[in-house]
Amino acid sequence: MTAPATVVEILGVVLAPLLPGCIQTLKARLQGRRGPSPLQPYRTLARLWSKSAVDPEGTTVVYRIVPPLVAACLIIALLIVPIAGRGAGLGLGHDALVLLGVLALARFAIAAAAWDTGSGFALMGAARDLMIAVFGEALLVLALLVAALAAGGTDLRAMSAAGAGEHVWSSPAHWCGAIAFALVILVETGRQPIDNPDTHLELTMIHEGPLLEYAGRDLAFLQWAAAARHWVVLVLGAELFLPHGRGFAAGLVVLAAEVAALCAALAVVETNQAKMRLLRVPALLGVGCAIALAGAGLSIGGVGI
Amino acid sequence: MGPAASVDAGLAIAGATVLAAGGGLAACRGGLRSGLAVQAAGMALLGAAGVGVLTGAAATGSAFRSTVAPAFGLDPLSGFFLAVLALTGVPTLVFARDHLPGSPGARGVAALTAGFLLALTGVLAARDVTTFLALWELMTVVPAAAILVARRDATVRAAIYRYLAITHLGGAGVWVALLVLQRHGAIGDPAALAAAGSGAQTLVAIAALIGFGTKAGLVPLHSWLPRAHPVAPAHLSALMSGMMIKVALYGLIRVEFQWLGATPRWLGITLIAVGLLSSLGGVLWALVQHDLKRLLAYHSIENVGIIALGLGASLLLADAGATTWAAIAFAAALLHVANHAIFKALLFLGAGAFARAVGSLDLDHLGGLLRRMPWTGGAFLIGSMAIAGLPPLNGFASEWLVLQSLLHAALHRPVGVALAAGVALAGLAATAALALLCFVKVVGLALLGSPRRPECAAATDPPIGMRAAMVVLAGLCVVLGLVPGVVLPTLARLAPGGAAGVAARHAGLDLPGTGSYPAVALAIALVVLTAGLARLRGSRRAAPAPAWACGQPVVAELNWTSAAFTKPLRLVLEVVLRPQRTLEVVRGGGMVQQITYSGHVPSLVDALLYEPAIRAGLRLAAVARRLQTGNVRTYAAYLLGLVIALLTLARTGAL
Repeated sequence: MTAPATVVEILGVVLAPLLPGCIQTLKARLQGRRGPSPLQPYRTLARLWSKSAVDPEGTTVVYRIVPPLVAACLIIALLIVPIAGRGAGLGLGHDALVLLGVLALARFAIAAAAWDTGSGFALMGAARDLMIAVFGEALLVLALLVAALAAGGTDLRAMSAAGAGEHVWSSPAHWCGAIAFALVILVETGRQPIDNPDTHLELTMIHEGPLLEYAGRDLAFLQWAAAARHWVVLVLGAELFLPHGRGFAAGLVVLAAEVAALCAALAVVETNQAKMRLLRVPALLGVGCAIALAGAGLSIGGVGI
Repeated sequence: MGPAASVDAGLAIAGATVLAAGGGLAACRGGLRSGLAVQAAGMALLGAAGVGVLTGAAATGSAFRSTVAPAFGLDPLSGFFLAVLALTGVPTLVFARDHLPGSPGARGVAALTAGFLLALTGVLAARDVTTFLALWELMTVVPAAAILVARRDATVRAAIYRYLAITHLGGAGVWVALLVLQRHGAIGDPAALAAAGSGAQTLVAIAALIGFGTKAGLVPLHSWLPRAHPVAPAHLSALMSGMMIKVALYGLIRVEFQWLGATPRWLGITLIAVGLLSSLGGVLWALVQHDLKRLLAYHSIENVGIIALGLGASLLLADAGATTWAAIAFAAALLHVANHAIFKALLFLGAGAFARAVGSLDLDHLGGLLRRMPWTGGAFLIGSMAIAGLPPLNGFASEWLVLQSLLHAALHRPVGVALAAGVALAGLAATAALALLCFVKVVGLALLGSPRRPECAAATDPPIGMRAAMVVLAGLCVVLGLVPGVVLPTLARLAPGGAAGVAARHAGLDLPGTGSYPAVALAIALVVLTAGLARLRGSRRAAPAPAWACGQPVVAELNWTSAAFTKPLRLVLEVVLRPQRTLEVVRGGGMVQQITYSGHVPSLVDALLYEPAIRAGLRLAAVARRLQTGNVRTYAAYLLGLVIALLTLARTGAL
């Protein structure tokens, strides 16, 4: 019964740009603008695909290999995250920590490309991204720990199954994990109040900064990867911490509804929140870590289960 | 002794002899290069003996004994460390063969290198206390001598003085632990110390932790390491960082895991705490270094911390009764020992090659070396990615295992212990992210972008021997990353409880009751997808253009520096790092004439622990000096006082 899940996961490669598209549309509506269509990311990708790429002077093979490598990492990440409790049987496993490693590889690659260009703006963005990642990684691991403690291991399918049923909602640990993971979603998708994806000012860029020099198909790969990152964390959050449907078909419907709801929540947060001062982000993530750790403690202590 | 075991013993003796002969040959005039080649052959023989003992799982030579007669032998644990020693030692010696000639004191350094390797091997093979302690001291002193043969300026002398002082002060713990064990006849006999009571056990456990921990570079006893390792010649740095601190961990494992009898729970928690402190502290101070070798030395502290986390998790899991997972955690620590030895040797050799080509190891003076030194640069890139813990390389495999072990330690009660494991888990994740930040910086500054100095633009790859050494080590990083599952069961068998439940289901890691890491499939997927997407993209490119700098011309001197890249983190962690900066502006005639900026991050441990300790020591010495007047009459008075005191004591019956 892994075949349908495999199909959906591979469909994720196509569907991922829809998520930031929906967020942008909804955000515009909330702000009283008409905004772009949810399909705008596809149009952008198509436009980029028809343009030629540019290499800054003095770059090496690293700069060229990074966009396909980052896109490959995100495809693998898409295949690792299970859909409606099932995983693709493609032999890549479903381990939460491997997912972490693959995302780290993508982050390393992007920062290395920034160094290769030598551009100050790219490096500024990369330095900030990696600084936030230090705290974000600890937070992500702790949020995953809460789910893994319930499952007894880091297989994402088992962790998803452990988050199913009604009794988990009486467990305070689960709530702590959910709150911590909400912060993870903000960090990993690069949305306000952590980062502002709409900025056009180089000095304020975090995730966009290292992409400044890229053009054409290279940029298309990297923009798709940013969209795929939305898919990975939103689906993962829904799988681990939100209610599940019974059976695969129902599970798929519930999952789609939850991901849509999470997109809407992101749009609302972005409309209401200004971007945070960069140096205060670690404090926010530290609070998240404390909440997740409390959740882990409650889970180990067996409170409410 | 079976036939296989006697073959291993023969190999080991032959290897040690050849190694010693190589050392002698290297000391002769004109025999430097051939001597180092002979040494490499000897090291390879020793490694073969180690692998034989490890895979045959049978001990050879003498067993551990509590008598004082010198004895040598190998068991699987020694065999493992010996194999790792050979894996790093052989390429390192091949590297030295091309690197050492022409450097000051080359013949002396080469001969002492053989002595150092023999001492390391001897510590691993010693089977009684006197031999162990004698070789242990040699292992400390010989590299110091080799460094002083190569360089003798004030910085080096200060570094060596601090190295010898701290390792001897802390190393007293090794003597205390081993002599107490000897007194209870507990060398190689865990039941004996258990019978001696918990007081002796606690004493041995603490003394061994301090003694071996100092030599392994665990925080807060690490202060010597980032000073001593960078001043050594490249191949000695590689051996010291790659192997010497691992041999200290070997001692730690022997005492704490094998001879202590029942290990107390606090020891596991202490190891976790010290490991966390070392891994986070090591990587944080590494981040703010601008000298490549010093940065690498701090990363050794980080990695020893990660190994200590694995060992601590193993103790906690054994305490909770999860024997299979205790063995996996132990194997995770050992796998990281091997992995770190390999990539750290690679990185130090790479640094040596850069220093030779560019003449500087200040990160801000390098740049653009990947294009100009493709072999060295490529190998260094692989080593950097391995130490940053990126899949599918070997660093990720062992860090994944340590993370899994900590997670499983968090599954067991009591809650406090489980929470400690949870905190360690988050700390290790942060450590990995920090290491990634640090090595992106190193790779970016040294290998990528445009050269910052004319010397970098003219740099070329070193001779074939040096290249081969680095490529072999890089290949080992890849291979061990792809097939960790093949090694894991062998390593799990070395755990004190043994483990029958750990079997290799595939070349990657597939553990009971948790997720799996299919390393080969992941690597294939990565390569195939990247190649496919690159092909899909095609090669249509517009003409190269300068990078965007708001319309300004791009000047290499204005490129980002090591300090700039870590600035956000330095600001966020100001409380911990306490960076100091001084800015001097010279004005003249209404214009700014000159701006001098200097910034550095002092080591908090040095400021808070060592400096007060040194001050207190000097004050005590001043007090003690007052007793030494140099006046004969005072000494006569001391003697008189002593005699009277003794007589009084004898009179009262106290003596």
